[in-house]
This record gives sequence, structure tokens and C-alpha cells, in this order.
Amino acid sequence: MLELLTLTYMLAVAGGVLVGAISLPLVLSRSTLFALTMTHSVLGGAILGIYLNAVFNLGVPVPMVATLTALTLSILAAELSERIFSEDVAIALTVTIATTITIIFSYLTIQVSSTGLSEAWLYVAGTSAIATVGDLTKMMTAAIIVAPLIHLISRELKYIAFDRDGATAMGLNVRVYRYLFFSLSALATSTLASTLGVLATHVLLAVPGAVAIRFGKKGSLTVSYAAAVILALTGYLTAQLLGIPPSGGIGLVSGAVILGLVIRHERR
Amino acid sequence: MPAEIEVYQVSYSFGPKIALDNVTFRLDSPFFCVVMGPNGAGKTTMLKLMLGLLKPKEGYIRIFGHDVVKETSIIRKNVGYVPQVVNIDYHVPVTVEEVVAMGALSKDIPPRILTKSIKKKVEEVLEIVGLEDSSSLFTELSGGQRQRALIARALISEPKLLLLDEPYSMLDFDMKCEIAELLYRLHKEKGIDVFLVAHELSPCIHLEPTVILLNKRVYAVGKAGEVLRLENLKRAYPGLTEVPAGFILGEDHA
Repeated sequence: MLELLTLTYMLAVAGGVLVGAISLPLVLSRSTLFALTMTHSVLGGAILGIYLNAVFNLGVPVPMVATLTALTLSILAAELSERIFSEDVAIALTVTIATTITIIFSYLTIQVSSTGLSEAWLYVAGTSAIATVGDLTKMMTAAIIVAPLIHLISRELKYIAFDRDGATAMGLNVRVYRYLFFSLSALATSTLASTLGVLATHVLLAVPGAVAIRFGKKGSLTVSYAAAVILALTGYLTAQLLGIPPSGGIGLVSGAVILGLVIRHERR
Repeated sequence: MPAEIEVYQVSYSFGPKIALDNVTFRLDSPFFCVVMGPNGAGKTTMLKLMLGLLKPKEGYIRIFGHDVVKETSIIRKNVGYVPQVVNIDYHVPVTVEEVVAMGALSKDIPPRILTKSIKKKVEEVLEIVGLEDSSSLFTELSGGQRQRALIARALISEPKLLLLDEPYSMLDFDMKCEIAELLYRLHKEKGIDVFLVAHELSPCIHLEPTVILLNKRVYAVGKAGEVLRLENLKRAYPGLTEVPAGFILGEDHA
């Protein structure tokens, strides 16, 4: 029991690190909506993976299909917004594709597998109420990839968010940074969604970045990390105390944090 | 010898909407040039084309003899750009030091670390533009200070040419004059050529700039006294019917 609890809280910390790394740049570049789109892609990808395994007996890990789908759709969104549409239109089109995949393959999966949809549901609610070593390994691997890379390009991301044309005119390759950031966001979102669940990921993505901007004068990544880890840990603890899924606990704590931010703002 | 700026038969359109139509002009160094024209005249588009942010549909632009589309990296090493302040996202918490340093860091390869030598350069250029506190957030600065910080960012890479998009916008008249004086000082003392887009000429009229009158096409190029004749103004500003005596030139007043 102790081991399971330790594993669960370690997973919360690793998830917090992963969220802390991407949340601030997402909020600064006003791309939170994009990251939320990725959760739709993950869900679509997961159902696609379940369907492919059920029909063709491929034995492909479903999280891998979910991650690849999220990465593909993130690159599509980046390409559409670079070349043709504004970012919100590109995101809307990507959501449309992701949702269509989800609906069509949900319907097809029901025809071929009696457990397929309940397996997919784990992506919505999360599997982390019963954290496994596999979950922790996956989360830590994603955190080890995403956090250092985000640190490496955080100055550029902040600068592009501040003045995109100026950044381009000064010689920064804005397109490459955008693709890299969108890909890292897709990887992070996919990992979070497959362990914490799509709903908890939705809640977690924006709050640490918003807290970092409110409380850290310069929008510090350290504040974003701290906020994300505390949010994940208290969310898990709340969930445990109330006997609800972790996503519910994280949602409740996030709601309280947002309410606190609003009250603090009103009192100023 | 190649002209510092050579714009030859350049046309650009956003879909069916023509922004620039067969624009041709040439500027030889040294120059302090102001591009004037009404809203939608294509002034900002002109700047973006010169920076290689947009590609001409027809014609070409050469700066220091280099094609801005094919040799963008050379152009960007030698040109400093000051954007319109309205295009800045004030929601991003960034310090003056970070803003200015990026002008130098962008020339390096990642990871772009703020070294002591860059910090020293930041202090030097801030002194040139008359700013003191590099730790202030950009959002905490006044309009004039923001413009100075952006000019400092362009200066830190020691450009030969400054391109400025509406540097007087959202400033009171005294501040506009101060910015104009600063730019003129940089032109005279540092030998930097200045090419700016503005609605108003009045803050720098006493500096005797070269004026380009633009409204999708170039209507006149030359010294202010030659260009700002009623017949030219009426062609570039179609709504202009009469010019009151002693008027201050500029769209806001036209």
C-alpha cells in the first residue's frame, strides 16, 4: 500500500514537472487552446489505436498511437497557422479532424470490441488512481525530454510571444521554434492524458502558467514548476481524501486556485 | 556603387487587395528618410518587404546591394528593426534588459545565454537612448521609454540602417520630437541611416528629412520642401481638398 502511494505521489510530482515546463510558454504565447486541442487528438489517437489492435491484431501500444496522432495533428496545426489560417482557425480545424477520428473509430470499435470503449475511457478519466511503474517511467521520460528542451528555448519562446515580427526580423527562425514547441506540447499532453486523463490535463495545463504570471514578476518558470507540482500533489491528496478519481481532485484544487486568483485581483 | 536601398517596380497584394503597385525608389547613404501616406497606403507592407518578412509579387528590393528575399540573413545582420508598439504583446512579462539583449543574442546560436559582456552592451545602448533601469518590466515603461527600449534593441547589433514602423504612434507631441531628435542624433553621430514610416512629419520637419509620399504608389521622393506640395499631397491623400495655412503635415491633421 505504501509503495502504491509512493508511486502515485511520485507520478504526481513527475506530472507536475512536465506541466510546469510547458504551461508558462503555453500561456505566454496564448497557445493554451492549442494544447487543449491536443487532448482531443490524444483521445482520437487512443481510440484509433484500440480499433487497429482489435481489427488487425497489431499489438501496437495504444499510447504510442495516441502520441503519434497528437504529434501529427500538432504539426498540421502549426503548418496551417503558418501558411494559411490564423491560429484559432487552424486549431478549430485540427479539433474537427481529431473529433471526427474519435467519433468514427468509437463507432467502429463498438462493432469489433466489447471492451474497447471502456479502455478508451481510461484516457478521459485517467489511469493514475492505480499508478504503475510503467506510468511513472513514461511520465519521467517525457519530463526528461520536454523540460530541458523547453528551458533551452524558453528565452526565444518568450521573445516570439512578445514580438513575433521583431523576432523574425532579428533572425530567429520562428517557424522552427513554433514546430518544436508544438511538438513538445503534444508529447507532454499525450503523456499527461494517458496517465492523469484528458480531463485532468485540461485543468492542469493553464493554471501553473497563469499563477507564474500573477505571482512571479517576470513570469518565472520556477514558479510555474512549483505551482504545477503543488497542484498535482494536493489534487491527488484531495482525491484520496474524498475517494474520487485524481482528475476530480486536481479539478477541485485548480478551481480553488483560480478562485483565489480572482479574489486577489478584485481586492487589489 | 549599389544604392543603400533600391526598390524596383515592387508590387504586393493581400489576395485581391493591392497594397503596393509598381513602387520604385532609390536611396543613397547618408539619408534620414520618412515615408508618409494615409492609412492603408502600404507603408508597413513596404517595411515588411524590406525586411524579407513578405516577398514581393513583382519586382525586387536590394539593400546594400543584396536581394532581401535571397540574402535575408545578410540584410538582417546589417539592419535594425523597430516595430509598431501596437504589435507588441504587453501581456508577456519581459524586462528591458531581456528586450534589448535579444537584439544581440538573436545573432548567436542556442543556447542564448545572457553573458556579462552582453549585459554591458545593454547598459551602453540604454545610455545612448537615455534609459536607466534595465530591470524594469517593459510594460511598466511609458510610451516614450518603450520606444527608446525598442530602438536600443535595434542598436545593440550595430546596424548600418534602422527601419522604424510608426515610432511616433501613441506619443504626445513633445515625446515625438524627442524620439525624432534621438533618431537624428544616431544618424549624425553614429552614421546610421534611418528609414521610418510615419503619419506625421511635423516632429522631424526641422531635421530636413528625405520624404517619400506613398499611397500604394510612390507619388514623390525628395526633400520635404519639394515633396510636400499641394498637388502631390492631393494625389497621395485623395480626401484632401485644401491645405490650411501653417498646417502640420500628417494624416491626423490633413
